[in-house]
Amino acid sequence: MTLNLCVLTPNRTVWNSKVNEIILSTNSGQIGVLPNHASVATAVDIGILKIRLDGQWLTMALMGGFARIGNNEITVLVNDAEKGSDIDSQEAQQTLEIAEANFRKAEGKRQKIEANLALRRARTRVETINAIS
Amino acid sequence: MYASSKSSFLNTHHLFLQFQPDPIHILAHAPHSKAPSIRCGLREIKKRIDTVKNTQKITEAMKLVAAAKVRRAQEAVINGRPFSETLAQVLYDINEQAQLEDVDVPLTNVRPVKKVALVVVSGDRGLCGGFNNGVFRKAETRIAELKNFGLECSLISVGKKGNLYFGRRDCEVLDRCIVGSGGFPNVKDAQVIADEVFSLFVSEEVDKVEILYTKFVSLIKSSPVIQTLLPISAKGDVCDANGICVDASEDEFFRLTTKEGKLTVERDRLGVSGTGLLPNMQFEQDPVQILDAMMPLYLNSQILKALQESLASELAARMNAMSNATENAIELKKELSNKYNRERQAKITNEILEIVAGAEAML
Repeated sequence: MTLNLCVLTPNRTVWNSKVNEIILSTNSGQIGVLPNHASVATAVDIGILKIRLDGQWLTMALMGGFARIGNNEITVLVNDAEKGSDIDSQEAQQTLEIAEANFRKAEGKRQKIEANLALRRARTRVETINAIS
Repeated sequence: MYASSKSSFLNTHHLFLQFQPDPIHILAHAPHSKAPSIRCGLREIKKRIDTVKNTQKITEAMKLVAAAKVRRAQEAVINGRPFSETLAQVLYDINEQAQLEDVDVPLTNVRPVKKVALVVVSGDRGLCGGFNNGVFRKAETRIAELKNFGLECSLISVGKKGNLYFGRRDCEVLDRCIVGSGGFPNVKDAQVIADEVFSLFVSEEVDKVEILYTKFVSLIKSSPVIQTLLPISAKGDVCDANGICVDASEDEFFRLTTKEGKLTVERDRLGVSGTGLLPNMQFEQDPVQILDAMMPLYLNSQILKALQESLASELAARMNAMSNATENAIELKKELSNKYNRERQAKITNEILEIVAGAEAML
């Protein structure tokens, strides 16, 4: 019995096939999902999604959203998702540095909120690459 | 002999004047010279014909490019459908369940409105007919309306044309200019706008956010509309500025298809189907947090949809404008060719008459 994972972004469907197990980062910590998991609806934080397929672990960076688990069907709706293999490490590192600089420069509540979000996203992308290597 | 050649010259000149009453030909001639101007006129007209031919090639190419891109824009909308459908389903269900409890989600906070942010979506390039102007006119009326109500207004312009327009007019309400990544709108562009709007709303700098974009009605018609982005109503309604609401569960999608060989637009209403949430679904976190996570998703997808529809309208407008321009160029070329031929024939007639007159004079 395998799980069917569906990762959807507003642009396209990033993943839509069977997996053995996933580890999802939520607001209240990481949860692992195996076949025949109980039905849960949860919010997904900006973090890494690990997928186990044929004994291999693949990583994907998720930029926050929502996940619905039930009946061996997992539907993850996120703003943006990038497979670890699709991220360029140089570019991700640079984006992280720019985000850090912006965060330090941010003044005022509004800029701080924006900079914080950008920083967390950049950090997730870098961590996704580091997790595979 | 001199008298006869002069009279024949006057005759031909009289004939010559009879053939060309039109302004184009008068423009092609220098007003002071008579006999030499015929030759200059011929070359000028030929140059004009070449210019028009080149312009026609360019406009036709632009039209074909725009037509191809409209198809891709439509595909982008279709690709985003699974996301929006699932999101609408789940949002609907969670809202039903959460309405039983007292849920406080920051993005649905309805505050007394003192300041309104208006996001204006315009195109990046010109040559699209009245597309951008329609958007700007609507924006101006809306700003004036808000001023009449005594509300402050803050403008966020998306798209190079809008940035230029509002920057040039020194609009005091202009807050920020956002430039897209060029090409098709993707989630990152929508994210930038969403972050901006989100932070404005949550930090209570503005109390209402509206978005102005062009709705794709048909290939020849598109209308600028204003929709309320924030605060999101609890049912997931998407409301017009006039309060006409579309339930999120009945969201509309447009689709370009061919019907009887002609391109038409079909609007699909997606109905809520499927299970949504299973009856004994547990919430990992409390509904408040889940709604908190979903509202930005919904906001993002709304903004992306607006950007995509705007782009499709812009491409359709450009297609129409370029098609009109091509037809005009063809007509102009035909007219100019006629003039050219008539002039050429007149010149030949002149030469023949001169030769004949000269021959006669010699006899």
